Amino acid sequence: MSERILNIENLKVSFDTYAGEVEAVRGVSFHVNKGETLAIVGESGCGKSITVQSIMKLVPMPPGRLKEGTIEYLSTDITAYSDKKMQHLRGKEMSMIFQDPMTSLNPTMRIGQQILEGVKKHTGLKKKEAEEQIIRLLTDVGIPNPDKNMLRYPHMFSGGMRQRVMIAIALACNPKILFADEPTTALDVTTQAQILELMNALKEKFGTSIVLITHDLGIVARMADRVAVMYAGKIVETGSAHDIFYTPKHPYTFGLLKSLPSMDLSKETKLEIIPGTPASLINPPKGCSFADRCKYAMNVCNRLEPPENEISQGHAGSCWLLDERAPKVDLIKGEIL
Amino acid sequence: MEDNMTTHEANDFLFTVEAAIPHSQLAGSNLSYWADAKRRLLKNKVAMISLIFILLILALSIVIPATSSYTYDQQNLSNINSAPSRAHLFGTDSLGRDLWVRVWYGARVSLAVGIFGSIIPSLIGIVIGGISGFFGGKLDMVIMRAIDIIMCVPSMIYVILIMLFIGSGQIPLIIAFALTGWMGTARNVRGLVLQLKEREFVLASKALGASSASLIFSHLIPNTLGIVIVSITMGVPGAIFHEAYLSFIGLGIAPPIPSWGQLANLGTAVFRIFPYQLLIPASMISITMLSFNLFGDGLRDALDPKLRN
Amino acid sequence: MAKYIVKRLLISVITIWLLATISFFLLRTLPGNPFQTNQILSIEMQEKMMTYYGLNRPLLEQYITYLSNLIRGDMGYSLKYTNRTVNSIIKTTFPISASLGLKALALALPIGLFLGVASAKKRGQAVDYACVFISVLGVSIPSFILGSFLQYIFALKLKILPMAQWSTPLHTILPTIALALSLLATLTRVMRASMLEVTTQDYVKTAKAKGLTESKITWSHQIRNAMVPILTLLGPMVATVLMGTFVIEKIFAIPGLGQHFVNSITGLDYTMTMGLIVFYGIFMVTANFIVDIAYGFVDPRIRI
Repeated sequence: MSERILNIENLKVSFDTYAGEVEAVRGVSFHVNKGETLAIVGESGCGKSITVQSIMKLVPMPPGRLKEGTIEYLSTDITAYSDKKMQHLRGKEMSMIFQDPMTSLNPTMRIGQQILEGVKKHTGLKKKEAEEQIIRLLTDVGIPNPDKNMLRYPHMFSGGMRQRVMIAIALACNPKILFADEPTTALDVTTQAQILELMNALKEKFGTSIVLITHDLGIVARMADRVAVMYAGKIVETGSAHDIFYTPKHPYTFGLLKSLPSMDLSKETKLEIIPGTPASLINPPKGCSFADRCKYAMNVCNRLEPPENEISQGHAGSCWLLDERAPKVDLIKGEIL
Repeated sequence: MEDNMTTHEANDFLFTVEAAIPHSQLAGSNLSYWADAKRRLLKNKVAMISLIFILLILALSIVIPATSSYTYDQQNLSNINSAPSRAHLFGTDSLGRDLWVRVWYGARVSLAVGIFGSIIPSLIGIVIGGISGFFGGKLDMVIMRAIDIIMCVPSMIYVILIMLFIGSGQIPLIIAFALTGWMGTARNVRGLVLQLKEREFVLASKALGASSASLIFSHLIPNTLGIVIVSITMGVPGAIFHEAYLSFIGLGIAPPIPSWGQLANLGTAVFRIFPYQLLIPASMISITMLSFNLFGDGLRDALDPKLRN
Repeated sequence: MAKYIVKRLLISVITIWLLATISFFLLRTLPGNPFQTNQILSIEMQEKMMTYYGLNRPLLEQYITYLSNLIRGDMGYSLKYTNRTVNSIIKTTFPISASLGLKALALALPIGLFLGVASAKKRGQAVDYACVFISVLGVSIPSFILGSFLQYIFALKLKILPMAQWSTPLHTILPTIALALSLLATLTRVMRASMLEVTTQDYVKTAKAKGLTESKITWSHQIRNAMVPILTLLGPMVATVLMGTFVIEKIFAIPGLGQHFVNSITGLDYTMTMGLIVFYGIFMVTANFIVDIAYGFVDPRIRI
């Protein structure tokens, strides 16, 4: 068994808004092992960003509220850590890359300085050493002429270059875990591939674990060791990348796969969309939140939340179809057996 | 798990009939923009109290002068500068005129100038700014440069010039404000329109061949309305202030017609001996401006989608 | 940069020229003449005065004379203050108005910015409500009312500060406060809104994710970015305030420039009014020019 870096149990995060309580994350559990990449997949608004931002306590509270659950980092419970204590973890032990490199860098600060801030805070290096470190980092992330470019401002760089700078900031203090929140969504496809490649290379080099948030299964396929599929604030299926892609057990996971153009599931599969819209998080349904959109919905699905069923070692799903009393269904063929 | 089992019903593991579940709950929480804004405004205590104040002052300004036994220009030289009493709730001034009636008559004048002195220039500003932003190009450049030049001199100078032209009084004041107060709104509206023009939904309707008129009426106006309403509300205290300022320096409303600025002007002459004569109109000006400002703040919080949550 | 400055300068000159032209003809269309208001002068005398000042000549000729004098920096003689040039009146009164304005700004700027930042940082808490209240109150009490009350309380009742006049530093306290409150209120309001806007930006989240302390984030990431709207506001604000405020000068009997703005127009003192408008215009154009250069320093995205 590899070392567990992060362990999340039953995390629940809500937002208090005028319209009522929005239950953004409704009991999420997962773990991250050393050196692996865990992908959290789901549609926008399913709570994946809130989940990871809650772990780093970047969600403004209020209006946000951590209702329940435990967050363990290296077997230490950090759930109740104060902001002050979190400051020593953020940037040093765990860091984050955001979706839009156009807005996630401070436009009025030189990029070198933006990297330096974190280095100075966490390592106590002298200015000269810190600068050398920055040049090394910029070289690592593939920024040419780092000694000159560190003195430039973000608007002088392209989106891809800025995301490289973001990665340099995130990896500046060699964190054990990197949260990447849709790191390539705002980039064009070629740049996307380069950034993903870079992340993989750096992961190998530094042994960093990555939690990759994305809605793009193509990215999951090239990056992830394990996958957690999220829907309406819950993880509905989790397993190795192989499990998820070849033996999906939850109709939602399967729906996601089928809506992907390049997946070679079977020759005849047509590109399909999942009908309907995700369930409201203000008054979540009391049964399975996917039941409304699920073509295999049973009566029980509207009444009771499905429990988590282990399918095989490390592969689990929350769906009533996995119950032994349920009719057997072949998701790939779309047939009821 | 065991517990769960026991609550199962016989037909639990049968498929539901297709579309048997109402989908209505899906969109249940999406209130419309205006309904949402209204709800948030009603919840805002400060804004509501301010609104009540505004309505109260408006109502009193209509009722009191109409029902009082005194008029605003009725002099009584045997009863000058008397302190507030039963007969004269706000006392009398140096000509023995009843200040209670004068203050509420002055409220009519000041509020009328304040409200119309904000609405009219805003409307002019919307039209000019809208045209400038929507059509762009040379026209836009000319309008914007003209505004730059006009704004190099404080609007007060223009107002005074115009007042010299057309004389003093309520209507001239409103005209002067209308001619000098539209530039700020025009700039803001132009900026908004320029932003909106680049937004996806506008580009989309343009691509689908929507006409200019339909673009203006179905996209630009609804999307700027909230901001415009806020700016009009926030403009009212400004106009009240300018009226008071001009009357204070003897250029706004001509005596004997009272306005709050007029009353404050007369009050300063004697306030060392009879402070109530300044205190009362000054408080009216400040309370009214405060109410409009606070109500405007509430409106902005309710209408600006950026400030939500 | 040099090209930009030349271009800006050219635009400024055109602006001032247009301003002078428009106001010149606008002023002359006003009914009456500058000497009419003086009851003592007979019609003949008025005519004589008009001829003496060259006001009877064709308007276009007067305009050309005025412009050519203006280019040499000569704004002519005041029509009301006998034997005093507009230049000399501005020279003696402007420093007084400017010094009062600077004092008020020196008081309002740091306090206003501080309250704005504090208010935004403590959003929804008691501090925030207090700051918002102060700022709304500040824009709701006209300066002439505040000035009168300051006089009443501190000079008349408490007798600790002089009522009016412009002589010792002690005399400057009340007018400075009366002038500063609305400036402070405006600055607080704008800074608060700007800080709140900046707080929701992604780069603030990035800074937080780096593990920076709250105060470090405020100082090096939020305030600088929040200063851009303040700069926009500051240009016209400084220009207006330094030019003097008529009512404050009237209430506190300060011999500043502000009083001339109203008196010269109502007295149809053409040359004086023109001089003030042109002077004000130059001042405003310069202030905006400085602001534009300052943008470049605060926000590297804006290149000049």
